[in-house]
Amino acid sequence: MTGTSPLLQARQVFKGFFGNPVLKGVDIALHPGRVHALLGENGAGKSTLINLLSGALQPDSGAILVDGRPVGRFSPAAARAAGIAVVQQELSLTADLSIAENIGLGAYPRRFGLIDYGALHRGVREVCDMVGLTEPLDMPVADLALGRRQMVEIAKALFRKPRVLILDEPTSSLSAHEAGILARLIETLRDRGVALLYISHRLNEVQALCSHVTVLKDGGVTADQSLAGIDGEGLVRLMVGRETGDLFPARPAPGPGATRIVVENFSAGLVRDIAFSARSGEIVGIGGLVGQGQEDLLLGLYGAIPAKASRAEVCGAPRLPGHVGDANAAGIVYVPADRKHEGLVLPHSIASNLILPSLGRLARGGFRNRAGESGLIADLARRLAIKGDVARPVQALSGGNQQKVALAKWLPLDPSVLLLNDPTRGVDIETKREIYLMLRAFAAEGRLVILASSDTPELVHLSDRVVVLREGRVAATLEGAAISEEAIVGAAMGVRKQGEAA
Amino acid sequence: MSAVSSAGRLYGAIQGRRNRGLGGLYLVVAAFLVLYAVLFPGILSVGGFSKFTQNWFPLALVTMAQALLMLNGGITLAIGPLVSLGAVIAATTMEGVLGVPGGILAVALAGLAIGAVTGAIVAHLRLPAIIVTLAGSFIITGVALILLPRPGGFIPDWLSTTLAGHTPVAFLLLVLILVFWKAFLATPLGIGIYAAGDNPIGAFRSGVPVERVKIVAFALSGLLTALAGLFVAAQTGSGDPVIGAPFTLNSIAAAVLGGVGFLGGKGTMRGAICGSLLLSVMINVMFFLGFPPVAQYVAQGLIIVGAVAVPELLKQWKARR
Amino acid sequence: MNAVKSMFRNPPLLTFVLVALVWLVASLTLRGFGAYGHLRYLLELAAVIGIVAAGQTLVILMGGIDLSVGAVITVTAILLPLISPAADPTGLTGIVLALAIATGIGLLNGAGAAYLRVPPIIMTLAMATFLQGLLVIVAGGSAVTVSNPAVILLGQARPLGIPAGVILWIVVSVVVLLVIHRMPIGARLLALGANPLAARLSGVSVTRNTLILYALSGFFAGLAGILVLGMNRQGYVGIGDPYLLTSIAAVVLGGTSILGGRGTYAGTIPGAILLVTTTALITVVNASPGWRSIMFGTLILALLLISSREARR
Repeated sequence: MTGTSPLLQARQVFKGFFGNPVLKGVDIALHPGRVHALLGENGAGKSTLINLLSGALQPDSGAILVDGRPVGRFSPAAARAAGIAVVQQELSLTADLSIAENIGLGAYPRRFGLIDYGALHRGVREVCDMVGLTEPLDMPVADLALGRRQMVEIAKALFRKPRVLILDEPTSSLSAHEAGILARLIETLRDRGVALLYISHRLNEVQALCSHVTVLKDGGVTADQSLAGIDGEGLVRLMVGRETGDLFPARPAPGPGATRIVVENFSAGLVRDIAFSARSGEIVGIGGLVGQGQEDLLLGLYGAIPAKASRAEVCGAPRLPGHVGDANAAGIVYVPADRKHEGLVLPHSIASNLILPSLGRLARGGFRNRAGESGLIADLARRLAIKGDVARPVQALSGGNQQKVALAKWLPLDPSVLLLNDPTRGVDIETKREIYLMLRAFAAEGRLVILASSDTPELVHLSDRVVVLREGRVAATLEGAAISEEAIVGAAMGVRKQGEAA
Repeated sequence: MSAVSSAGRLYGAIQGRRNRGLGGLYLVVAAFLVLYAVLFPGILSVGGFSKFTQNWFPLALVTMAQALLMLNGGITLAIGPLVSLGAVIAATTMEGVLGVPGGILAVALAGLAIGAVTGAIVAHLRLPAIIVTLAGSFIITGVALILLPRPGGFIPDWLSTTLAGHTPVAFLLLVLILVFWKAFLATPLGIGIYAAGDNPIGAFRSGVPVERVKIVAFALSGLLTALAGLFVAAQTGSGDPVIGAPFTLNSIAAAVLGGVGFLGGKGTMRGAICGSLLLSVMINVMFFLGFPPVAQYVAQGLIIVGAVAVPELLKQWKARR
Repeated sequence: MNAVKSMFRNPPLLTFVLVALVWLVASLTLRGFGAYGHLRYLLELAAVIGIVAAGQTLVILMGGIDLSVGAVITVTAILLPLISPAADPTGLTGIVLALAIATGIGLLNGAGAAYLRVPPIIMTLAMATFLQGLLVIVAGGSAVTVSNPAVILLGQARPLGIPAGVILWIVVSVVVLLVIHRMPIGARLLALGANPLAARLSGVSVTRNTLILYALSGFFAGLAGILVLGMNRQGYVGIGDPYLLTSIAAVVLGGTSILGGRGTYAGTIPGAILLVTTTALITVVNASPGWRSIMFGTLILALLLISSREARR
């Protein structure tokens, strides 16, 4: 069933931003009936390549070919007309419109100029059934959880009956169950002759679904081959060029010290009445399916959202931080999951971002201490290997380097508690290693690290203790040898013993 | 499942969901109307009802015009001057060879054209709407002053009596406009206005022609505003180049009262119309109770803050429980 | 050529050059324009706009806007003669009281924005409406003449040949430039303007900065109102109205983004001068009110196009 001529192709495309070349002569060809994986560290150019293939951006040079013919001026509408659909991490949905209206957006069936709601209903129903969306179609998308919204986005792509489907990290917000539905859907589409491009950092998914792989590294293609006979280690080797058995640093002899945080009947956002405690020198992992309260636990402890507790002792104070300033003063810092919108001020320079929390401390006589600031910025850039001119806007950096800036800015505060929300999401393997080493070092220095993550292996290898949340409550607390992927996932899904469904 | 019933079911379900979301607002409006009727039973007569809707009509139109842009993520500070211009064009063209139909056409075309040009500047040159409409308000005022330096002009009596007399023609016109709006909203372009306001990048990626949508939104907004000016001219019997001034603020106040948000995509047109009705009732009540006209301003300031702050405080209070 | 290109990338510099060019051309072609007395007069007028625009620059940088400055100027101009105690011969008490009221109004704006979560555009608009009504009720419709000596000094004196108002503007400029570029609060308000959520999570207090900055905007509007009162010798309802739009225009002409997070007061200074020059030129042409209005609007639009196109590069 694998066709001979590619439906969608990029040929020797070059693209750069802010004077940085991102894609340097990339070739990729998507054939019908094939699931093609696109791997690469962030900053390698995957998102840019997707944007070029879907018409959202134009290449600086090189060609995009549809059915073997170069397209002239490619736009999202032209791509849609050519049967190309993309599902990206940033959703394209309109919050207040209904599920049906969102799925049909830009492709509404029409009758006498008006939207044909009957045909819309039928088409949307059909696509929702494929994707497992059972919610009422008139429901506004704003009322759905993030994972369900991702499914709506997928349904929206399918509504256009694409010949080419590009999926960018589609399972990042999905539950295991939803991911399973998606996997089966991909297989069905493949069998129908759709050309699929699958981008994911989850190598087990890639291995299960894909038959070919293109690896991007530093803007160029380093591998473009079939996946037959390649195992997980082989995949990683393709991506990184060497063994990464040492991705996670060795766990040192445990030695956690005094209790830093104790809360009882703690509620914040989705979190309801939990008891939680943590000691200095520990790395505590917070696990669970997406959206079970992990972020709200961190934000509540940080004083960023309203929180209450019947008893609270946080860094020596007998109450929860009332607001972020309180938390910072107590030595608590927070690195958000969404670095683009919550962790960094994108249009501002690297230097401005690094110095923001330290302005007050360095100031002398009410005025900024420019010399002191420059010194601190240079020091931070050196310690975290952030290369290049720090006067550049931080959005010119790759995802991994941006995350380093989001983390580095807190170091001058000498924090005693670091709250991290999915700190390695969308980060390349090299930077992940660096961050893991840093976290281990922090714990060894006697700081407390609380780490919420959707990456289960990360939790398993880093944490001294794992708290699994489910529906805002603690489903399990695992320590030492009890920590394992099965235990975490099982508790997250509410499984009582191994192999039994909830 | 037949095609018709399937269409009806989905469309009806979506509308029902939107109406349920506005339940609180509908209740408040109903309560105020009841209060008004109790205080001034005159409204229950045909004549009284007509008078009330005539005062409401221009405000409803400019509120729709403003809401159209706010839903698309913009705003216009040029409503007042455009109302004046509409009035002036009506008053100066109707006595000429074009007569009434020509005058109405001239007003409509002017509104559409000015709106479209403004929209093109905002969409293609990427200048913020607030500044463009601010500068535009000066230009439009200037044109109105040139056409008619002092209040004057001519509106045929029969037109004034039809539109602003003892018959509820204004109300019927409003209903007609609403029907057109509902039809427009059931087109891809109409929904595109909401989508582009709430998530412009997402709408672009979905293939919504965001620039064209913006220009259409501005053009329709201009049309409604100019027509409001035409009506005001008919009401007063002549054109006045500065008569529209209070409408800018009122349109924003009414839209905000109706739950239309400033960040785009939030709110509904029916909410905005309810807001305009509410504001109209309040203004009438204050007038009849003998408040000096300036007290209207004081009250409006407080009402606007209240209308935005109260739902927000309620949300915060609920989150803390 | 490189010097010209780098100038284009610096919006405040560009605006300065534009002003200089316009002044040069106008002085050469229009009789009397380049006279010292006339240019000094333009600067005096620009000083009022510049001082109001100082507060406006600050709140716009923070991502907000203050639509109540016109009303605050009017309030200050009308109330000051009424509240100046006769017992104080210097008149300074009156000034202090008036500034306190103006700052208080700004503080209320900030409180509404910070605590009630009312978007600043609506809060300040509502405040302007509220004040407008209140003012007519309190002061009636007539003009009030000022007898406060300090105010008159401010408006009329010319120490060393420079109008006191311009000296005041220079002081204000230095202060505001220091605040933006040399004090932590400047960097914080820029971060708030560019990304309020990220700024908040980085420890920048949204509440405190909002209160401070809107209070400052009220303060500067009050200061401008006192200057206007001194220059006109009387205050009346509506005296502050033209300054709302011109303050916003001056900020934007100076290359500051209306959305916040980018810009500086250094551009607002020539922006104010440019605005005043434009109005003066239009008056010279002696057109009817209608044409004057059209020209004013068109020129703002054109200048906007030029300055924001370069700023966005």
